[in-house]
Amino acid sequence: MPEQLLREAESGRQKSLMRLSDDHHLRLLRFAWRLTGSMADAEDIVQECFLALLRPGCTFNPARTPILTYLFGVVRNQWLKRLRLREQGEAPESIDSRTPETEAVRSELAAAVAKAIAELPESQREVLVLAHYEQLPLAEIAEITNLEPTAVKSRLQRARATMRESLAAFGPQTERSI
Amino acid sequence: MNDDELDRLLDAWEPPPPPVGVRKRLRARLPQAEQRRFTHWRRWALLIAVASATLAISLGQSTDTQWPIQFTRLYDWLIQNIDIWRAGEIRDRVRLSDPKVYVDEQLVSPPNYGPAAKISVSVPGDGVYSIISVPGITGWVENGRIHGSVIEFKAGNKQVRIECNKPIVQSDLPVFVRHQP
Repeated sequence: MPEQLLREAESGRQKSLMRLSDDHHLRLLRFAWRLTGSMADAEDIVQECFLALLRPGCTFNPARTPILTYLFGVVRNQWLKRLRLREQGEAPESIDSRTPETEAVRSELAAAVAKAIAELPESQREVLVLAHYEQLPLAEIAEITNLEPTAVKSRLQRARATMRESLAAFGPQTERSI
Repeated sequence: MNDDELDRLLDAWEPPPPPVGVRKRLRARLPQAEQRRFTHWRRWALLIAVASATLAISLGQSTDTQWPIQFTRLYDWLIQNIDIWRAGEIRDRVRLSDPKVYVDEQLVSPPNYGPAAKISVSVPGDGVYSIISVPGITGWVENGRIHGSVIEFKAGNKQVRIECNKPIVQSDLPVFVRHQP
């Protein structure tokens, strides 16, 4: 049970924290990578997220929030914090794993999707990634992003509309003509 | 482009495999946890050493055959000190957990933390109620429970609830209350 593992982790048991990490780190890493576009940044964020659970100021309350929802929220906050620092020039640019070499081996479509998502406003990007790639319900996304479910729905619709426009060239008719 | 077609396009964006050694690198960043475990072990060792020394001195000074009674008293003293130490740990966890105090579901001022591991709550119109999780102290009455991240007790005819933002105990404990009008 995650809450039990967390309680053990808080009392200083590395093993329990590692089990918590084993259960959730892949999803969190994937989410962080989709937000940042960098596996190095994603790993750093996910590590911070688990370490935060051991700190005295940790605000996690198992009676109110499932552990995975809380961890998604921490990843999201870490990502936003890094974006702000970067905007203020106080953090180095991330070393993006999408080098020309790796891009060459990825499909043209995957590259186009990655580019279109990276160009979405932050508020739409996080909602689209949580809804489509992590398959989270609107209520849970609302909790992670501190929004009302109606606002989440509206942002998701806008994000999908933008993606439709950006990926129009890969639509069914175009695919047939390729 | 309909929803299904868009979903298929989005699915083309696969994440790369996770980097090797993620687990090892996370483990390497956990020195604090090891230190905490050591601290916990050291406290117990110190407690046992003090208790053994006290027992040895008591038995050494005993000139009659009353040593079983002295041993029982010493045992009671030891158990009560362990309880007080544990109550102090709980009080510290509460203090670090941003506690919110509700009296009959109404939010009131945060608790105060006294010596001897007690926590005090001001109940509007009814003075101060102090609580502690140590049994057997004269003047303190069992009147509530600590469970998970919540402390609940009766203050006169009012229900007091202290909600913390993380767990403060692993298993349920009784709460002993004293009223100071």
